Amino acid sequence: MYEIWLTLNIVWEIALGIWPLLLAGALLWLALLGTAWRQAGQHWRANILPALVIGAAVAVVAALLLPGSIGSTLSDMGYWVDWGMLLALAAAVGGVAVAFAWPLLSWRHGRARA
Amino acid sequence: MTAIPFGNHKHLETNMKKPTAIPPIDPARRRWLQAMAAAPLVAGATTPGPAKAAVKTRARIVIAGSGLGGIAVANRLSQLLDGAKITIIDRKEEHNYQPGYTLVATGVWPVDKVRDRNADYQPAGTEWVKDMVASFDPVANTVTTASGQRIEYDFLVVATGVHLDFAQIAGMDVAAIGREGLTSVYPSPEAAQATWAAMQAFTAQGGQAVMTLPATPLKCAGAPLKMSFMLRDRLFKAGTLDASKIRFQSALGNVFGVKVVNDNVLERWQTLGIDVEFSRALKAIDIGARRATFSSPEGETQEMPYDLIHVVPPTRAPDAVKNSELAWKEGPFAAGGWLEVDKSTLQHRRFPNVFGIGDINGTPRGKTAATVKKSAPLVAHNLVEVIAGRQANEAFDGYTSCPLITREGSAMLIEFDYEGRLTPSLPMIEPLQDSFFAWLMKVRMLKPAYTAVLKGRV
Repeated sequence: MYEIWLTLNIVWEIALGIWPLLLAGALLWLALLGTAWRQAGQHWRANILPALVIGAAVAVVAALLLPGSIGSTLSDMGYWVDWGMLLALAAAVGGVAVAFAWPLLSWRHGRARA
Repeated sequence: MTAIPFGNHKHLETNMKKPTAIPPIDPARRRWLQAMAAAPLVAGATTPGPAKAAVKTRARIVIAGSGLGGIAVANRLSQLLDGAKITIIDRKEEHNYQPGYTLVATGVWPVDKVRDRNADYQPAGTEWVKDMVASFDPVANTVTTASGQRIEYDFLVVATGVHLDFAQIAGMDVAAIGREGLTSVYPSPEAAQATWAAMQAFTAQGGQAVMTLPATPLKCAGAPLKMSFMLRDRLFKAGTLDASKIRFQSALGNVFGVKVVNDNVLERWQTLGIDVEFSRALKAIDIGARRATFSSPEGETQEMPYDLIHVVPPTRAPDAVKNSELAWKEGPFAAGGWLEVDKSTLQHRRFPNVFGIGDINGTPRGKTAATVKKSAPLVAHNLVEVIAGRQANEAFDGYTSCPLITREGSAMLIEFDYEGRLTPSLPMIEPLQDSFFAWLMKVRMLKPAYTAVLKGRV
């Protein structure tokens, strides 16, 4: 329980440190969502799979680049805990990519059809 | 819950040494404090839970020191108490994230990442006396500052940290750190930054590096080891490892106080080509000539030339504590003048209205930020219990943690208790495993955790 509370506080403090970036990202995403909602029509569901493919690709790239971004390397993955953490972080980055790709693809699909 | 009369002090004396003197408290004030302490007590705030009523009190609480421990306890007390007058005494306006010094000194972090402002973290409503405590008089319940201001208290939290005793090394000049191969990660952010500059100059050419370890307790006992590991890594990456030699001179019979970790480090250093000599205490240094003098317990001295030296100063309690009645008078902590606290409750063993937090404590282990993280909630809770007329009832196990960097990009996450038992917080953590996760924690997660501790939230 303590470790969960500690983790939440760590995430909170990290977020506080980059709040302008987070706010800009959130506003951009909401704007994208709103725009796509007006234009996507029936094309939302059709674009889930492509968005997931994009997310997976981004996650793979993230897994390759994340260690270097903090001064580490893939060869520093010592045991399964390290791999688990790396894959979890990469999956989170991939999830963000899906969150942006889905409305973007849906919006573009809707525009193309219009 | 019956409020225990403040006057007879028996509730404060159980399981403690008989106090040499119970500080006299004005009788009218005592009755007032007893009446206020009858309010419901807030539980320890180590885990989230429904908010409980704060203890109403007019107690005057002085906190000597505004490092991690002092500010963390101040924030917690401001949540747990309603009406207390909290005074923090410290001249320092800059707050330094000291666990980051090794990252600055080895080129991983820029120096601004370890510099903040105390004003940003002190709780609202506390009085900040921008001065240093020059003396403690626990019999009279007063402290006196360097400028002569006399401040009375009902309760005292000693959070002064350590004194870096560079004076024990003849010829040492802190201002010269960064020049002539002289380095030390301990004194300040500027010293850490200068250490990195000197390390860069050294690794470009190679040569002989001498790393030192004194015989006294240390804050962050892992730092001398981290510096050695990282220096070796930097030499390897610069391509000058073959032209270099790292010699680690320990004044002790080991390099780390936890045997399993000590043995693991020594095994690694044998593989990495880092030589170790024991019972070698740094006694003097000729900065211009780049020569260091070490002495053995038998009194023999040995001069050693160096191209780079990492000086780790002996530490002791600051004079204000060392020369006061608060310091240990006998036993292994007496020589350093450390604060005489019960290692479990962190309450002073002779002055029950005094608690200690952080590096100043004379306890078997634990001069790290992680120790403060785990003990600040306990100190705040126990102090509030005493204010409420009860006994300090939470016990500390001596938790200490050291993310022991083994090279850039990897570290071991060492956690242990007073007994030297490895105590990983998460069951899947292997303490002696080189780990990306431990490195990630060190460079990205520990400072946010530290900030949360400062704010009194974890």
